[in-house]
Amino acid sequence: MNSINSISYGDITFERGAYYRVLAASGVGKSSLCNFIYGIRRDYTKRVAFDGRDVADLTISEWCDVRCRHIAYLRQDLRLFGALTAYDNIQLKNSLTGTATRREIEDMLGALGLADKVNWRADRLSIGQQQRVALIRALCQPFDFLLLDEPVSHLDQDNNAIAAQMIVEHAARYGAAVITTSVGNNLALEDCGVSVTNISL
Amino acid sequence: MVWNLLRKNISAGQMAGYAVATLVGLAIVVGALQFYRDISSSWSGDSDDALVPNDFIVISKPVPAMATFGFSSANVSFTDDEIAELSAQPWVARVGRFTASDFSVFASLQMAGRGMSTSLFFESVPDGYLDKLPEGWSFDPDSPDIPIILSKDYLSLYNFGFAASRGLPQLNDKIITRIPLAITLSGNGHTATYVGHVVGFSNRLNTIAVPQDFMDYARGIYSATPQAPAPSRLIVEVTTPGATEVTDYLEACGYEVAGDKVNSSRVARFFTVVTAIVVAVGAVIACLAVFILMLSIFLLLQKNKDTLRDLMLLGYSPAQVARRYYVLVALINGAVLVAAIGLLVWASEQWQGALSETGMQATSLWPSILVATAVMAVITVVNGLTIRRMMRRYFIS
Repeated sequence: MNSINSISYGDITFERGAYYRVLAASGVGKSSLCNFIYGIRRDYTKRVAFDGRDVADLTISEWCDVRCRHIAYLRQDLRLFGALTAYDNIQLKNSLTGTATRREIEDMLGALGLADKVNWRADRLSIGQQQRVALIRALCQPFDFLLLDEPVSHLDQDNNAIAAQMIVEHAARYGAAVITTSVGNNLALEDCGVSVTNISL
Repeated sequence: MVWNLLRKNISAGQMAGYAVATLVGLAIVVGALQFYRDISSSWSGDSDDALVPNDFIVISKPVPAMATFGFSSANVSFTDDEIAELSAQPWVARVGRFTASDFSVFASLQMAGRGMSTSLFFESVPDGYLDKLPEGWSFDPDSPDIPIILSKDYLSLYNFGFAASRGLPQLNDKIITRIPLAITLSGNGHTATYVGHVVGFSNRLNTIAVPQDFMDYARGIYSATPQAPAPSRLIVEVTTPGATEVTDYLEACGYEVAGDKVNSSRVARFFTVVTAIVVAVGAVIACLAVFILMLSIFLLLQKNKDTLRDLMLLGYSPAQVARRYYVLVALINGAVLVAAIGLLVWASEQWQGALSETGMQATSLWPSILVATAVMAVITVVNGLTIRRMMRRYFIS
């Protein structure tokens, strides 16, 4: 697969290079939408397609390629490995994609206030710290689309701004789209000078 | 890093249990095979008769007392009906006819400055009844050299009976194959002398055998009757050597078997059955052990299911995740194989000490080692396929 330029779910279409915020009340289906797109769930009634191709037709190796090079996903439940350190959790993904050096990963952790938590086990980090580690892990791969399911739900305003800046920089590097969900605590994308399309479910 | 995540739930006890059970099963299988090979190579006679395998018997009719004095019209030849009835027996794979020479054969040789000559006879049996054709076992009318297979009994009779009592030189079986024989054939108004060579010895062919091609050629020239005489001996390939139905039938028909091959065949069959039982027990143990491993792997993968799924959602392919389990299984199975081969070598040394006192010789361990390696390779491949299938099942898409 060369690249994914559009993702469609029913009559909603996400285009590469744009910024989207999916707005809905809790329980309406924001996380489900992300999971449908990432192939975690298949219990949808509408059609999910990459560039018009139904994702149900993707093979296992194509899904691996999608998850390594085309769609990065920060899950709401984070899914860090508690027994591994913050750095190892990120390196687990980075070793697949070879995107960042150890120095770059440590710099990102430092920028988000985790310089002294590099070698801490993930299960000893607070939920907000885990959220930042999981965000950096999601950024350690090339992508056409970045799915962020409530990425700053546990972050303060300062870390929200730093995370938004980091996300915009990475998206610009790959010419990628960012799809973020929110129930109220929005990722501060607008502060970084990008225009965001709001989509209501 | 991935292995750090996955190895947590590995139970050393389960793996050790599998390894010991597989080791016991595999060691029994290859130990029994090796023991069978060592024993059978010693008593079956195959080692000193590569030409005619164990499941061939040569049968004839007894000679009536009156025939000795020329009074009896009793025929010791087999009729077509008798051959057809024999062929129809369920334990008979095929029946070959000996063709006897109905012309005069006279052989002479020069050795150590002394000449020897004798009247002879030839018989032929189709080439398909020889397990392995000896070198030079062919006949070309344009450059005739007659290859001969001699009964070992004849050589023994000459060496230990005739030559010893008459002060004649004894003949070594290796040397005799190098001595050319002058063979004079006569009959039907023709006479010619050919060169012949002994090309092999047999315990089971109790005759002086020549190729069927030569017999057909010689009968065409020297025989007065174009029709071959009814055979007085038959070579029978038996599907169940040593079975009582064989001996019962031969006894009922009054046929005689050359040598005592039926009894040795019966011992062979007994050992084959015993070995098959022991191998089957070993195979069952090995199968159960493999079953234990499969259960352990299922359990291990089930315990690690969430971890495996999260890894594959990060982009790890089923093959990348499974590789660690492949390595684990290969290491355990490799260790079991090495231990089983070690046990085999040790055990064979134990019984070979006892067997050598009875004059039996050990056979090479390599076939048994190859069998053990092949069995472990199959087990490892089955393990690998199961792991692969589980991984693909866990893959979320």
